[in-house]
Amino acid sequence: MKILLVEDDRLLANEIATSLRDENFAVDIAFDGEDAEHLGNTELYDAAILDLGLPKVPGAVVLRVWRENGRQLPVLILTARDGWSEKVEGFKAGADDYLTKPFRVEELVMRLRALVRRSAGHAVTKIVCGPLSFNVQIGVFELNGLPLKLTALEWRVLECLILTKNTVIDRSVLSEKVYEGDAGTDSNSLEVIVARLRRKIGKDMIATERGRGYKLSAGGT
Amino acid sequence: MFGAGSLSRRLILGAGVFITAALVVAGVVILFALHRFVQGQIDQRLDSQILFLSSTLQMNNDGTIALTGAADGPPFDRMRHGWYWQIIGPKNVLTSRSLREAKLEIPDLSNRPPPPPPPPPPRDSHDDRPPPPGERPRPADGPGPDGDPLHFRIFNVTRGGAEVTIVATAPRDAVLGPLRSAMTTLAISLVALAIALVAAMLLQVRLGLRPLEDLRRAVADVRSGRIRAVPDDQPREIAPLVSELNTLLRQNAANLERARRHVANLAHGLKTPLATLAIALPKDGARAHELRRLVETMEHRIRHHLGRARIAALGEPVNAQTQLAPRVSDLGTVLCKINIERAIAFKGAIPDGLAVACEPQDVDEMLGNLMENAFRWARSKVEVSANSDDSEHVVIFIDDDGPGLQASDLTKALQVGQRLDETTPGFGFGLPIARELAELYGGSLDFARSPYGGLRVAVRLPHSR
Repeated sequence: MKILLVEDDRLLANEIATSLRDENFAVDIAFDGEDAEHLGNTELYDAAILDLGLPKVPGAVVLRVWRENGRQLPVLILTARDGWSEKVEGFKAGADDYLTKPFRVEELVMRLRALVRRSAGHAVTKIVCGPLSFNVQIGVFELNGLPLKLTALEWRVLECLILTKNTVIDRSVLSEKVYEGDAGTDSNSLEVIVARLRRKIGKDMIATERGRGYKLSAGGT
Repeated sequence: MFGAGSLSRRLILGAGVFITAALVVAGVVILFALHRFVQGQIDQRLDSQILFLSSTLQMNNDGTIALTGAADGPPFDRMRHGWYWQIIGPKNVLTSRSLREAKLEIPDLSNRPPPPPPPPPPRDSHDDRPPPPGERPRPADGPGPDGDPLHFRIFNVTRGGAEVTIVATAPRDAVLGPLRSAMTTLAISLVALAIALVAAMLLQVRLGLRPLEDLRRAVADVRSGRIRAVPDDQPREIAPLVSELNTLLRQNAANLERARRHVANLAHGLKTPLATLAIALPKDGARAHELRRLVETMEHRIRHHLGRARIAALGEPVNAQTQLAPRVSDLGTVLCKINIERAIAFKGAIPDGLAVACEPQDVDEMLGNLMENAFRWARSKVEVSANSDDSEHVVIFIDDDGPGLQASDLTKALQVGQRLDETTPGFGFGLPIARELAELYGGSLDFARSPYGGLRVAVRLPHSR
């Protein structure tokens, strides 16, 4: 799961990013409105955390530009001014949720997962695919009812696959959502991760569609 | 309109006194002039009679006096009408026929000032000369033969070395009669004039003071938020006042804006590092819990004091008009989106065009906090409705179908920083801030049982039309 974090306070941005990475998120950071606008328009993210008080371009404007460009990613706005007028403005620009500073990371993570799950079209918090189940709210995979131990990258790949279960996810999309912007995207390593996942959950569940990408399904077709 | 210290009263009283005095003076002056004129006419007539008598008067050798011609032309031929003459010689007395047998009593002139100018001494002793020009008969008043008041003209001439007194009289009524009839006409005219003047004055006061009434209405409009400033096109006399008033309004608005920005910056400046701190704190360990509590306390204090500062910055509510329906709808949309998983049915039943005289931000703040609270507790339904209970106020009801609040909880809920439910964050500030804002606008916040079973919060705010 890849998140765009837009926050001008570097200290806070880095703290949030660290905490989110601990929860298996891939995080790109933009420190001002211009960067945020550019990244949101060009990169693929599962969700964005957007501070409204940004230098160069205000957060609400950034959000409006994204929406005008057809970017549908769920957006959680952060505000320091817990005024309702600002929240209303943010939601009118296209926000999906908000948090007032300061907040608990657990709360942020929970909200982000709920946003991503809903935007992937899942109404319930537990996504099941054969023996594999994923509790989106707490971010835990279970295989046959037992917790599944995964590395961060494995977790991200499997999360992308299970959120789009039974449909083919493009390799490039998958790698975009798994690797952070500054990390080198090595398609070989994606192969390696998928291979490791097949060993953990059974090789039939992840199918490779030649020239296209991967698909997670219950049986193996 | 005519209360103590009223401008109208002052103007009307002042003008009334002035008009009355002017009319009384005018009446007296006119009567006096008229009297003099009529008197002059009569005197002239009597004087010419005296002159005529004097010119036809001769002294006989035996010392008696006689007239050489007829002297009873009208009106001296009318019997006992007050028009008489009488010549008193040293030996005999001649009278007009109108006196018949009666004689006139000559009023005593000794205690009267001599008529101006005093008769100059005759240059020679020629007896038959007419009285020198400038020597005039003297006036006097006295009763006639029938006791009726008469006006006398008395003239002394010398004939053949003897003093002869010529008297001519007219009835006093000849003077007073025309005066009386003139006075009636004059009184009617003056009263009519007085009525016209008072009417004109009242009209003038009304017209003159109308800009003040317009100004009052404009200021009321400013207060209720219909207009931003008092219109500048005012009469020259109150234009400076209006200009000062508008400057004051602008200053207030600017101060408010500055204070709000300051509070917002302060909020941002304090909360961002606090947010960093909250995240950077170790999640486990002996002191983690303690440190988290500290961060939470700091957050609460900051929120509390920023809320207070924002309200204090508001000070006196400034002019604003805020339509309720769009704000409730916006807030409802936000809260529905946030609570999308809970499938709460929201209904905003605000009549179109209903507006309150409050700043939009404050309306958002009050309703946002209250509606958020309702969404938090609701099982399936939140409704916001409103009506204007009288022309002065709008009452907004926020209903939910949650568990509601007990009486003891209600008092607690309004105490700043009190959380009724420690596990549901953010409850502690919404209600007190909403109440403080409502009271600042001269409104109130009340709790009741909702028809849907949960809590009903009723916010009363000033109506803006």
